[in-house]
Amino acid sequence: MSGSYGTFSTKQEEKRKRTVPDRVLIGRVFDYAQAHRRSLIIGISATVAGALTGLASPYMHAIAIDRIITPKNVAGFIWWIPLFAAIILGNYVFQYIQTYQMRVVGEKVVAKMRDDMMEKLQVISLRYFSEGETGRIISRPTNDANTVRIFLRLGLTSILVDVSSILGAFAIMFYLDLRLSLLAITVLPVAIVLVWYLGKYSRAAYRRTLITTSGLTARMQEDLAGIKVTQAYAQEKETEKKFLKSQDENVKATIRAILIGSSYTPFVIGLRLIGTMIILFYGVNAVLTGTITLGILVAFTEYQFSYFMPLVDLVTMYDQYQSAMSAIERMFDLIDTRVEVVDALPERSIALP
Amino acid sequence: MMSIAKPLLDYAKLLKRQKGLTQSFSAFKRLMKYHTRYSWFVVAIAILAVIRSILFSLEPLYTTFIIINVIGPPSNTSLLPGYLLVIILAGIGYAISNFVLTFVHGVMSQYIVRDIRTEYYRSLQGKSFSFFGSVGVGDLTSRATVDLQMVDSFLRTWLGTLLNAVLTTIIIIVIILPISPIMTLISLTTMPFIFYFTTRLWINTMPLFRNMQLILGRLSSYIQQNIIGMKTVRIFRREKDVIDGFKEVENIYVNTAINAGKIQSIYMPLGPAILTLGIALVYVYAGYTLGIPGSALAVAQVGDIILFARYMMRLTFPIRDLSQTLGTWIAAYAGLERVLEMTDAPRNVEDLPDAKDTTIEKGKLELESVTFGYVKDRPVLNNVTFTVQPGEKIAILGATGSGKSSLIYLIPRFYDIQAGTIRIDGTDIREFKLASLRRQIGVVLQDVFLFSGTIRENIAFGKPEASMDEIVQAAKAARIHDFIESLPRGYDTLVGERGITLSGGQKQRMTIARALVGNPRILIMDDSLSFVDAKTEQEIQSAIEEATKTRTTLIIAQRFSTIKTAEKILVLENGSVAEFGTHDELIAKNGVYKKVYETQFVQKAAPILEEGDGV
Repeated sequence: MSGSYGTFSTKQEEKRKRTVPDRVLIGRVFDYAQAHRRSLIIGISATVAGALTGLASPYMHAIAIDRIITPKNVAGFIWWIPLFAAIILGNYVFQYIQTYQMRVVGEKVVAKMRDDMMEKLQVISLRYFSEGETGRIISRPTNDANTVRIFLRLGLTSILVDVSSILGAFAIMFYLDLRLSLLAITVLPVAIVLVWYLGKYSRAAYRRTLITTSGLTARMQEDLAGIKVTQAYAQEKETEKKFLKSQDENVKATIRAILIGSSYTPFVIGLRLIGTMIILFYGVNAVLTGTITLGILVAFTEYQFSYFMPLVDLVTMYDQYQSAMSAIERMFDLIDTRVEVVDALPERSIALP
Repeated sequence: MMSIAKPLLDYAKLLKRQKGLTQSFSAFKRLMKYHTRYSWFVVAIAILAVIRSILFSLEPLYTTFIIINVIGPPSNTSLLPGYLLVIILAGIGYAISNFVLTFVHGVMSQYIVRDIRTEYYRSLQGKSFSFFGSVGVGDLTSRATVDLQMVDSFLRTWLGTLLNAVLTTIIIIVIILPISPIMTLISLTTMPFIFYFTTRLWINTMPLFRNMQLILGRLSSYIQQNIIGMKTVRIFRREKDVIDGFKEVENIYVNTAINAGKIQSIYMPLGPAILTLGIALVYVYAGYTLGIPGSALAVAQVGDIILFARYMMRLTFPIRDLSQTLGTWIAAYAGLERVLEMTDAPRNVEDLPDAKDTTIEKGKLELESVTFGYVKDRPVLNNVTFTVQPGEKIAILGATGSGKSSLIYLIPRFYDIQAGTIRIDGTDIREFKLASLRRQIGVVLQDVFLFSGTIRENIAFGKPEASMDEIVQAAKAARIHDFIESLPRGYDTLVGERGITLSGGQKQRMTIARALVGNPRILIMDDSLSFVDAKTEQEIQSAIEEATKTRTTLIIAQRFSTIKTAEKILVLENGSVAEFGTHDELIAKNGVYKKVYETQFVQKAAPILEEGDGV
C-alpha cells in the first residue's frame, strides 16, 4: 500500500503518446461546431477585429502627439476625439461579440460531445466497465470535457487574440518605420529560443504535477473507498500518513513547477527592456535628427509592450493546447468505441426464409 | 415516469433562487483564517508588492524625462545614458521582485490548500458509515482535487493582484498629480465608473458561476453513478432515462453558462474601454488649454501629456488583472463551499473525555435495552437485549431491513446508540478509546474491500507491525494460505487495481484473514456473500468455522451451514429480538425460526450442494 500503486493507470494515461494528428482532432471538433457555424464565424471575426482595434490605440496617440499636440494644432482634436472614441467603442463591441459568441460555441460543442459520450456509454459492451477502468472512463465526460471547455472558452480566444496582436503590431511597426522595427525585433529570436527552452523545463515540471495530482486523487479515492475497513481497524493514522506523504509529493512538485514557471518572466522582462533600450537609444537620436517623429517613438515603446506579452502568453498557452488535444483525443476515443452488442432482432428477421 | 435525474434536476432548479453574496463574504473570511498561519508570507508579499508597483511605475516617468530633457527642446543627449540606466535597473528590479512575489505567493497557496485538504481528509476519516452511504467516493474525491484546484488558482495571485491594483493606482496618482491637478482629476473621473461596473459584473455573475460550479459537481457524480451502476442501468433498461435526465441538466448548465457569458461580455471589456476614454478626456482638456496662449499647458511640455496618456494605459493592466482575480474568486468560493460543507458536517462518533485504552480479556458481550436509529425517532433497533458468553458464536437472522447490519455495527461503535448500553467484559464500550475498541474487534464487512498493495500488507492492515508468522497463521486459519503460496510471488503478490484479480470467495477469505491477524477476542462478520459455488462455499465455511472457534462471534448468516455451527441463533424482526436460543430450543419453540428453517434451508440447501458436486 505504499506510494503510488493506485496511480499506475493514470500515469500511463498522462504519458501515453497521442496517435491522432492535431489537424484531425481539430477537424472533428470543427464538425461539432458546424451546427453553430454562424456564431463561430462571427466570434472569430470579432476576436481578430477586437485585437486589431486594440492595437489602433497607440497609433492614435502617435497621431495626436505628432499632428495635434506638438504643432499645437488644437483644431485637430475635432476629428481626433470622435475617431478615437469610435475605435474604443468598436473595440468594446468586438470584444463583447467575441466573448459572447465564443462562449456559446464552446459550451454547446462540449455539451454535445458530452451527450454523445453519455449515449455511447449506455450502449457499449459492459466489458468496458471492468474493474479498475471506471476511473479512467469517468474522467472522460468529466475532467477531459472540462479541460476542453476551459480551453475553448479561454485558450482558443487567447491564441486568436495573441496571434492577431503580434501580427498586427508588427504590421503597424513596419509601416511606421522599417529601420526602428528591425532594431526592435532583434531581441525577438533570443526571446523565442529562451521562452521555448524554459518552456521545456516548465512543461516537464507541469507534467510532474499532473502525475502527482493523479497519484493524490487515486490515493484519496482508494482511502475513501476503503474507509469502512480503515475505521474498523482503527488505522486512520496510518492511512493519513500515507495520504500526507502523497500530498507532500504533490505540493513539492507544484512548488517546483511554480518556481520554474515564474522564472520565465524576469528573462522576458529583461529582454523586453533591452528591446526598449534599443528603441529609445536609436529612437531619440532619430527624433533629434528628424528621421522619425516623437509620436512614432512613443508608439514604438507601446507596441514593444503589446507584442511581447502576447508572445509569452502564446508559449505558455502551448501546455493548455496540448492537454486540450489529449483530452479531445480521449473523448473521441470513447465516442468512436464500436458497439458490440446491437439489437439483433432486425437482422434475424431478415435471415428467416 | 419518474426520471432518474429528478433529484439532480430539482437541485439545479433550487439553485436558481439562491443568492451567493453573503455566503461569499463568510467564505472569504474563512479563507483568511487559513492565512493566519502564514502571516510572514503575507508580510513578504505586501513588501514585495510595494517595491514592484513603484518600479513598475518608473519606466513611463523616465521615458518622459527623456522626451522632455533629452529631446527637448533644448536637446541634451548627454543625459540619455543615465535615464536609460535607471529604466533598465528599475526594470530588472521589477522583474526580480515580481518573480519572488509570484513564487512566495505560490508557495503560500500550496501550503494553504494543503491545510484545507488535510483538514478535509481528517474530517472524512471520522465520519460515520451513514455519511459515506449518502455521498459518493467520486464526489468526495473531486471536492478535494478539482474544487480545491479552483481555490488554489485564486490563492496563487489574489493578494498580489489586489495590492498591485491599489498601489499602482496610488503611485500613479502621486506621480501625475504635481504635473497637473486638473488633468489628474479629469482622468480620475473614470475610476468610479470602472469600480461600479466591475462590482456590477461581480454581483450579477457570481450567483451564476456558483450555480454552474455546483451543478457541474453534481453532474460529475451523476456520470460516476451511471458508470459504476451501468450493469443495473442495462438490466432495467433505463438507458434512455439516464440520457434524457442528463441532457436536461446539461441544458440548464449550458444556459447558465451562456447567461453568465452574456453578462461577462457586456461588463468585462468595459473597464479598459472607460479608462481609454479617460485618456480622450485628458486630450480634450489639453487641447482646450493648449489653445489658450500663456496657459499652464501651453507652456508645459508635450512630454507631460504623453506621460498622462501612458500612465492611464498602464492602469489598464492592474484593473484587468483585478477583474480576472474576482472571476477566479467566484469559482474558488463555490469550490471552497463544497469542501467546507463536508469538513463541517458533524462527526458522529467521538472519544469521550475519560475514555481509556482497555484490553478485552474474555470477550463477554452484553446488550441491554439498546435502541438505535439513523434518524431520530425512527429506530432501526428497538430495545434489544441479549448476552453473549466469551467464545460463543451467535448467528443473526432476519429479513432485509430487520436491522442485522446495524446491530453488528454498533459493537465497534461505527454508530452510537440512542438508548441502553453495550458492555464488553462489563465495561461500557463508550469508556473504551475508539481506536482501542476497534483494534480488538475483528470485522469482516459485507463488501470485501482490499487496498492496492501486496497480499501481505492487506492481511496485516489492522496490525502493520504483525510478524510474518502471525500473517501466515491468520491466512491458514482463513483457508487462504495454500492459494497465496500457489502464486508465483506468494505473499508479495499485488492485489487491487494494478495487481491480480481475486474471486469473490478469495477476497472474502482475505478479509477473514485480515480480521484474525490481531487475534481479536471478538469477531463480527457480515457473511452475506451469496451466489458462490459449492466449493467456494465450503472453503469459506471452513474458514469461518476455524476463525470463530475460540472467539466471541456475531455473524449475520445467510447459509444454513453457518447457522448450524453457531451456539445460539438470534432472530431479528423489525428491529426487535424475536427469538434467541439454540437451534433445538428454537425448533421446539415452533416460531419464526422454525418456519424459516423449514422453508429456506431444508429445501434449498440440498439442491445447491448437488449442483456444486457436478462442478
